[in-house]
Amino acid sequence: MRLTRKSSQPAGQGGLGISRRQFLQRSGVATGGLAAAGFMGHGMMQAASAKEKTAYSDAPVETKRTICSHCSVGCGVYAEVQEGVWTKQEPAFDHPINRGAHCAKGASLREHGHSTRRLKYPMKLVDGQWQRLEWDQAIEEIGDKVLELRDKHGPDSVYWLGSAKFNNEQAYLMRKLAALWGTNNTDHQARICHSTTVAGVANTWGYGAMTNSLNDIQNSKSILFIGSNPSEAHPVAMQHILLAKERNNAQIIVVDPRFTRTAAKSDKYVRLRPGSDVAYIWGLLWHIFENGWEDTQFIEQRVYGMDKVRSEVANFPPDVVESITGVGEADMYDVAKRISENRPGCVVWCMGGTQHTTGNNNTRAYCILELALGNLGVSGGGANIFRGHDNVQGATDLGLMSHSLPGYYGLSEGAWKHWSKIWNVDYEWIKNRFDPNEYNGSLPMNSNGITVSRWIDGVLEEDADIAQRSSLKGMFYWGHAVNSQTRGPEMKKAMSQLELMVVVDPYPTVAAVMNDRTDGVYLLPAATQFETTGSVTATNRALQWRDQVIEPMFDSKPDHEIMYLMAQKLGFGDEFTRNFAIENGRPVIEDVLREINAGMWTVGYTGQSPERLKAHQKNWHTFDFHSMQALGGPIDGDYYGLPWPCWGTAEFGHPGTPLLYDMSKPVKEGGLTFRARFGVEHDGVNLLADGVASAGSEIKDGYPEFTADMLKQLGWWDDLTAEEKKAAEGKNWKTDLSGGIQRVAIEHGCAPFGNAKARCEVWTFPDPIPKHREPLYTPRRDLVEKYPTWDDVASFYRLPTLYRSIQENDFSQEFPIILTSGRLVEYEGGGEETRSMSWLAELQQEMFVEINPAQANDLGIKNDDMVWVHGPEGGKVKVKAMVTPRVARDVAFMPFHFGGIFQGESLADKYPEGARPYVLGEAANTATTYGYDIVTQMQETKCTLCRIEKASA
Amino acid sequence: MAQMKFLCDAERCIECNGCVTACKNANETDWGIQRRRVVTLDDGMPSEVSISVACMHCDDAPCMAVCPTDCFYKTDDGIVLHDKDICIGCGYCLYACPFGAPQFPKQEAFGERGKMDKCTFCAGGPAETKEEEYEKYGANRIAEGKLPLCAEMCSTKALLAGDAQTISDIFRQRVVYRGHEDGGWSSVEKAQLSGPDVSGNLDEMAYDATRATREG
Amino acid sequence: MHTLMQCLWRLRMLGAVLLLAVLAASLAPSTHAAEPNEELGQAVGTVDADTWRDVKNGENFIDTRHESTYSLINTSGETWRQIRNEWISPAGLIAIGGMLAILIIFYLVVGRNDLDHERTGRKILRWTAIERALHWTVATLFIALALTGLNLLYGKFVFRHIFGDVFWANMIMGSKLIHNYAGPVFGILLIVILAKWLKVNLPKKHDLEWFKQGGGMVGDKHPDAGFANAGEKVWFWLLASVGLLVVVSGLVLDFPIFGQTRDDMQWANMFHGVTSLILMTVALGHIYIGTLGTEGAFEGMATGYVDETWAKQHHNLWYEEVKESAGQPHQSDPPIDDDTATAQRPN
Repeated sequence: MRLTRKSSQPAGQGGLGISRRQFLQRSGVATGGLAAAGFMGHGMMQAASAKEKTAYSDAPVETKRTICSHCSVGCGVYAEVQEGVWTKQEPAFDHPINRGAHCAKGASLREHGHSTRRLKYPMKLVDGQWQRLEWDQAIEEIGDKVLELRDKHGPDSVYWLGSAKFNNEQAYLMRKLAALWGTNNTDHQARICHSTTVAGVANTWGYGAMTNSLNDIQNSKSILFIGSNPSEAHPVAMQHILLAKERNNAQIIVVDPRFTRTAAKSDKYVRLRPGSDVAYIWGLLWHIFENGWEDTQFIEQRVYGMDKVRSEVANFPPDVVESITGVGEADMYDVAKRISENRPGCVVWCMGGTQHTTGNNNTRAYCILELALGNLGVSGGGANIFRGHDNVQGATDLGLMSHSLPGYYGLSEGAWKHWSKIWNVDYEWIKNRFDPNEYNGSLPMNSNGITVSRWIDGVLEEDADIAQRSSLKGMFYWGHAVNSQTRGPEMKKAMSQLELMVVVDPYPTVAAVMNDRTDGVYLLPAATQFETTGSVTATNRALQWRDQVIEPMFDSKPDHEIMYLMAQKLGFGDEFTRNFAIENGRPVIEDVLREINAGMWTVGYTGQSPERLKAHQKNWHTFDFHSMQALGGPIDGDYYGLPWPCWGTAEFGHPGTPLLYDMSKPVKEGGLTFRARFGVEHDGVNLLADGVASAGSEIKDGYPEFTADMLKQLGWWDDLTAEEKKAAEGKNWKTDLSGGIQRVAIEHGCAPFGNAKARCEVWTFPDPIPKHREPLYTPRRDLVEKYPTWDDVASFYRLPTLYRSIQENDFSQEFPIILTSGRLVEYEGGGEETRSMSWLAELQQEMFVEINPAQANDLGIKNDDMVWVHGPEGGKVKVKAMVTPRVARDVAFMPFHFGGIFQGESLADKYPEGARPYVLGEAANTATTYGYDIVTQMQETKCTLCRIEKASA
Repeated sequence: MAQMKFLCDAERCIECNGCVTACKNANETDWGIQRRRVVTLDDGMPSEVSISVACMHCDDAPCMAVCPTDCFYKTDDGIVLHDKDICIGCGYCLYACPFGAPQFPKQEAFGERGKMDKCTFCAGGPAETKEEEYEKYGANRIAEGKLPLCAEMCSTKALLAGDAQTISDIFRQRVVYRGHEDGGWSSVEKAQLSGPDVSGNLDEMAYDATRATREG
Repeated sequence: MHTLMQCLWRLRMLGAVLLLAVLAASLAPSTHAAEPNEELGQAVGTVDADTWRDVKNGENFIDTRHESTYSLINTSGETWRQIRNEWISPAGLIAIGGMLAILIIFYLVVGRNDLDHERTGRKILRWTAIERALHWTVATLFIALALTGLNLLYGKFVFRHIFGDVFWANMIMGSKLIHNYAGPVFGILLIVILAKWLKVNLPKKHDLEWFKQGGGMVGDKHPDAGFANAGEKVWFWLLASVGLLVVVSGLVLDFPIFGQTRDDMQWANMFHGVTSLILMTVALGHIYIGTLGTEGAFEGMATGYVDETWAKQHHNLWYEEVKESAGQPHQSDPPIDDDTATAQRPN
């Protein structure tokens, strides 16, 4: 492609920029080349067709500021656009998080504007062939079918599976779309990513998010990574981590079944058996308590229930811990000593900790460790949970989940009333949208919907066993990689039983090819985040604004436009967009954010107005790299991205909260206390903070969350304006839409949500104190009796959920190797997007399984041999063996980003023409198994069993 | 006159391959041509260490010395460039290069390899027009006053590029900060810096005695 | 800067060695008691000398380039460069230049080796048309390969400065193309020609005498020689040995599609350089003798026929054979039918 240097018309004229037309032309060329290139053996790699180099251009350069969409670190990017074409990408040296740095994915971001391996037009499957549709026809047909399903099976028969790749506004609109459609059957990848974190952490101290920030890690003196591999999953975070190591002499401790690239940078590496995290943490605490290394003052003042932890930990002396985790006493002691002697320290965890049936126990155990050491609420400390997708934090906050409305308001009547007020829609009208019948004693409107991890069972279970009118009949996969979910063969079966599959995505995704259907599948091309604008929440709770870099490529549309089209077709377009202006057929993103601001009081998404976020975006350079605070300039004193909670209204001017629960600063300046979320006492014991409060607090002790009545008791009621009084009467800090209660509380130095203790005991959970429980598929049968899993649950998120009945069976003889999974730096999630980028795909052309050399010798397998990995539920994958000491002898590891080959069979010819990724491979999750967290339905991907056999030829 | 060099700080390199794709982004080399690569030694073992490698723009460049066509030249900034119009794809530069930097788009019978391609330090190459330069050699960031994109985008600032004196100053400072027992090459237990005053004097310790004048 | 980088390198290597010593010393007492787990936990190791040895051998590292066969550190490249640039290249110049000089001096001093007697006018068939065709094809290819090869080795010192970049680019590209495509053809024809002339070039006892007399230069008598004299046999066997090495090493270089390593290519290149320069040097002698140096030799290869006198003088044994088998040498004009001629010529 060559840019015309002397363009006869200005860029973008007529709505169809030069780029767009040229891309369309190019796509024709590319498909021709593709057909000719043929297919290359099992590796499924295919070299990029004839050179398609961006031409040099002298045209005027427009520089856009955007944020990388590959992970939650939130790296800033300068995108240079000439005549509508993304011609250059420059490092954003002034960006406060990444300082211009990128990993393989971020450094190749520009290919989003060039790769032609995209879903280009709306398509439908007719007799096994992809047929191109026009947009209006596609919306019409899909809408008719969906309405028919609603008529026949009720609103809960359609599942609205959303995405963490949406920006905040789109994620919010998706939740709203499902709500107005009349179902809670909506979810996104947080469920299979950090749902156990959110549940575990929020139930410990109030909010389910990373407490500190990546930049703040620079201040840590010890960093404990458990189930986290930032070198591959969050590479730019390593910039901060290595700074701590170099400048602060911080101890880097990596606890992982696999010797990762992060472990290669560690001071201490500990190999533990997958699924033994709780026992490991208790083992550390055993030494900490034994030696009196805990922070007694902190525990007294700010922690509830540590004594119960003590008695549980007493059951985990070194020999027990060694038996369960495989880690000897000396190593346990060494790590305990290192983290105790090097404070403040933080703990970092990711999928390795969360994706277990015991995920919620794991995350709470990590929190308890930090509480025991007094590492919370201090710079350099904290629970630094690195989120996965670029906006998984935002999508979670905005309630794109089956168990809550935006802002964690839940599904109670009060929550619905709160949001219907914000939406300017009659509550009764919404109520009528739902199935009015009770199932299992609760109304669908107020009961948790089916989770993304379980939609398969939502399709396959008998109607009678599902706590809704019928099984799922129609699925929207709106930005979802199905290959990131376990139980491949059953998923395939579920797909064949559906009446309607709609994939809305920039890429066809594995869902489009792994189903055995010949009809009833629609593909709608969505625009990427570089083809639209909006805000995105990074892992440190900071909101960043993205410019639109280029016009949507091919025939794609931004997600919120497609949502609006669907809402209109389904008959609630007006209710959907009541507060928004519509421009170019889309709700105006800024208006959507303002609606979010208006309702999100719980987590403080209220102060981040579009104007403030844009001001932050324009002034990256004014933020300090270490503190994230703006030093001078137009937004002096703000913390970058107004990390939530950013209390009150935008006019109130709260700077954001850089560190959660940091009492050293007044709340008004970003300080915070532990949230009083669980009442004021439990079993007669006080739950409020004991004799401490944040700096400048007028209440020097613990206090409950603020309500109108409390203001009156304190005599602060008259600090409200007349207007605020009107709005605040009878309300609390979460429901007062004027923000007055929050403002007054903060002006008196108090946190609106109260000042309480963090709790080690979550009495509402199956295991109030986290317990070690053996995985469902465990090789250690000898431990099952002592550490059994839970009993089966009849109905949980509307579905029967199995525990004991699976663990009862001994698979360890036939499947002796523990199978775990993880990430590669080049790919992300299901990998469909990144495998469609030639610059990245070139670096990882083959799916593989890591096998320890000793195990490989036992099995007669050599490096690069093809092997079958069999899972105990019958799934199997044919992959290349990588013989490496990274894994222990009894553990095998597979990356989960591949797809397009199913149990040895290539699905390459099932992709729409020109939309097949450069690299295909077996999906690791074809071989993974059943297992869901007892609190959140998180899937178990990190610990199952397998058998590995050399593949014949 | 600057002498441009790369230096990869192996203590910082995490094998994220950002430099590899940054190069692709800047220069849009063909599938299979990676001007920069990341190499990991002792993979999966406690001594694992990674390093990003490309053309090192040697002072006494072996490729230049063995090239039958004399297509290489050195810029005033010490960057080794080559003229693709003169290159015949004989492969000699690859035989001589200590780092595997030269690559060829193909390798076929009768020594048909196409024109050699290698890292240009983002300094482009000889061409009549900017269009031609970009098409043949990729970006000329040096001309725009920028450094190679691989180093600019390095996720942990492991890969340094620039004037040799400057990058060795940066590296030396890091080595002093983190303590060293082996010239800063790999992870050993950190030398504990003794004495309370040392931390304040780190920059002093990083002073390079070989330099006549010290810049701030 | 150069020195600084070198210093850094040395420092690192020195560090690695020192460290290895320290590690060895510190590990020695503890290894006997070390548990595998503990060792793993404590071992924040370093890349040691063994690793570097592995790396040099192209082992124990992984690379982002897919299925890359490039080793991290190509230590042999510098050796190859030194041998090629510092030894082969100048040695070739000296050899070829020296040979040229010797030949010129020889010609000026000794002059042409004329026939001792008058030509009889009777022509004897020495080279059939096929042989001549073969010879001249191979000779042409040889010269083309030699010139292009020399251009690849030395051309850059001369022509780029004289003719400028554009001409040079075409010239050197042409050289490479000719060299790479003509090379294999030359190889095949060389084998054919060697097979064809094998029989007449088998060494005989009288060849020793021929050498003793320096091919007739020592003493005033012509030494015995068959169809091929000992000098020609030397050339033959040189082609059959060194020539084949040139071909084989050339093929290794020309077809880099069989998984050759860089080391293989360096070896092949050095062999190719040395052997072809030897061949070129000797070929100069061959050319000299076959043209300027010997009266009547060139016309033999040009027309196929030699004068009886020439045959008697240079290849007396062959002449005898021909005479015996034919009774009388031909007196007529050269026959048109080459096959007949072949039949008449005993080898």
